[in-house]
Amino acid sequence: MDALIIDDSRAMRSILRRTVTELGFETLEAGNGQEALDHLEAGRVPDLCLIDWNMPVMDGYTFITRVRANPDWRGITLMMVTTESEHGQIVRALAAGAHEYVIKPFTPDAIAEKLELLGLVAKPVPA
Amino acid sequence: MTVLSAPSLTDVQMVVDEVWGTFLGTEEPLVPGPAGDLEVGWSAAVSITGEWRGLVSVELPGPMAAEVTRRMLGLVDGLDPTSDEDVADAVGELVNMIGGNVKSLMPGPSTLSLPVVAAGRVARPSDVVEACRLDAGWGGAPLVVSVHVHA
Amino acid sequence: MTISPPSFAFVSDLARRETAMLYDPGKEYLVEARLLPLAREAGCADVDGYVARLRTDPVEQAKALDALTINETSWFRDNAPYQAFTEVMLPAMVAARSHVRHLSIWSAACSSGQEAYSLAMLLDQHLPAGWTAQILATDVSTTMLARVDAGRYSQVEMNRGLPATSLVKYFSRAGSEWEISEDLKRMVRTQQLNLSAPFPLLPTFDIVFLRNVLIYFDLETKRDILRRMRQVVAPDGFLLLGSSETTLDLEDDWNREAHGRTQLHRPATTTLQPIALTGA
Repeated sequence: MDALIIDDSRAMRSILRRTVTELGFETLEAGNGQEALDHLEAGRVPDLCLIDWNMPVMDGYTFITRVRANPDWRGITLMMVTTESEHGQIVRALAAGAHEYVIKPFTPDAIAEKLELLGLVAKPVPA
Repeated sequence: MTVLSAPSLTDVQMVVDEVWGTFLGTEEPLVPGPAGDLEVGWSAAVSITGEWRGLVSVELPGPMAAEVTRRMLGLVDGLDPTSDEDVADAVGELVNMIGGNVKSLMPGPSTLSLPVVAAGRVARPSDVVEACRLDAGWGGAPLVVSVHVHA
Repeated sequence: MTISPPSFAFVSDLARRETAMLYDPGKEYLVEARLLPLAREAGCADVDGYVARLRTDPVEQAKALDALTINETSWFRDNAPYQAFTEVMLPAMVAARSHVRHLSIWSAACSSGQEAYSLAMLLDQHLPAGWTAQILATDVSTTMLARVDAGRYSQVEMNRGLPATSLVKYFSRAGSEWEISEDLKRMVRTQQLNLSAPFPLLPTFDIVFLRNVLIYFDLETKRDILRRMRQVVAPDGFLLLGSSETTLDLEDDWNREAHGRTQLHRPATTTLQPIALTGA
């Protein structure tokens, strides 16, 4: 499984990289929505995108609308990971095509549980 | 004359505690209350515009900003040096997280700016007044999170 | 800073006596982590100082017990039990209760209420129109019950396993927290209850969730709780335990049915049931 981490903060990308690597993902990174689109257009299409909302050049919301406009990218799971936490904004992101939404700050468990909900991480069978 | 609306100190404290507790380790919790004179090494601010307008800033001493950076980047305690670029990035993300959650305390919809980070103090617009100020200590050193609103 | 052996012994005795929960040696770190905030709040220099105060202060004892019994909870914790709820238990009970069109559910050791409200969300989505349901949420900690009644959760708690679609459907912002809708709150009733003591008068439940709490009790107490559970689960009802608790010695009181990786327990009938009269 490949995850594309889209966040303008290197520190946040580092936190997310450690979290999803632990869950078995190979990672790719982008500092904004446009860089992420460049990856996709170059054929580096991940299973999962973790997407910040506020970024320079192209924000995460716009990125989601762009991904959803291209049928070739229908298989990508889109998860917002952002400090944006107004009720109305979560509604907007889901309506635009985000599958899940994690609000910063988050614990690694929160990311793991959301990816389980999305069927991207198999829960270990209890002993 | 309109009443200045500002988030409560309790809510701001809760937001800051959550950010700190989640990303900077629970073994060294944030202690409320002033922890001595703050010599600002780094500061960062985000502005909020829309239904509610304000400015959220964080001010930290230099060593604390470096420690925040090391923890966020997952570097081993005190061993790896951090560049100014790394510190600016980490402190910027810190104020982004606090600011975004402060925005959600207030009536929306509003828009959050990208963070502005400075070595030293960030310059605030002259027409803002402090509406809420959280003094806290971390690892024995002081930090300040404040919310300013347009007068 | 580490808790001294005598302090730890005092705290584990207290927890065992009052709640029958076990804090074995090796759990010092857990006791410390849970008592340190209280020690700070009480102005004690360290956890040992705070434990010295606990020895004579019943109010602080109650607070300490509350802190010690807090469990980290997520929404739809472990997922599979909730799938079993929607796919097996709920359809079975809806078929069996069509005469009353009401379901009675118990979330035992409910902690801060994520389990009770997760069930309430599923009932809201899957219960047929015209049906009602009541979820009894019990815990030994009154602090926890007050949290369940308030139905307010921090940002960090909201991130834990709650689908975003449910967040926007059932919650609204309340300061730095999120508050669950009044409709779901009305479905949940709270009551203080110590599982290790004889139960108060309880209704019969169609479904009981008793998850991740038996692990804290010794074997005799576990058996006793399960025996008493048998009295309050409807003969055709379900009992669900935590995933690590399903291999417990359940004696002859319970039958087990597997649904995927979830074990469902149903009251065992010791005598043969008379053949059901149908179409009467």
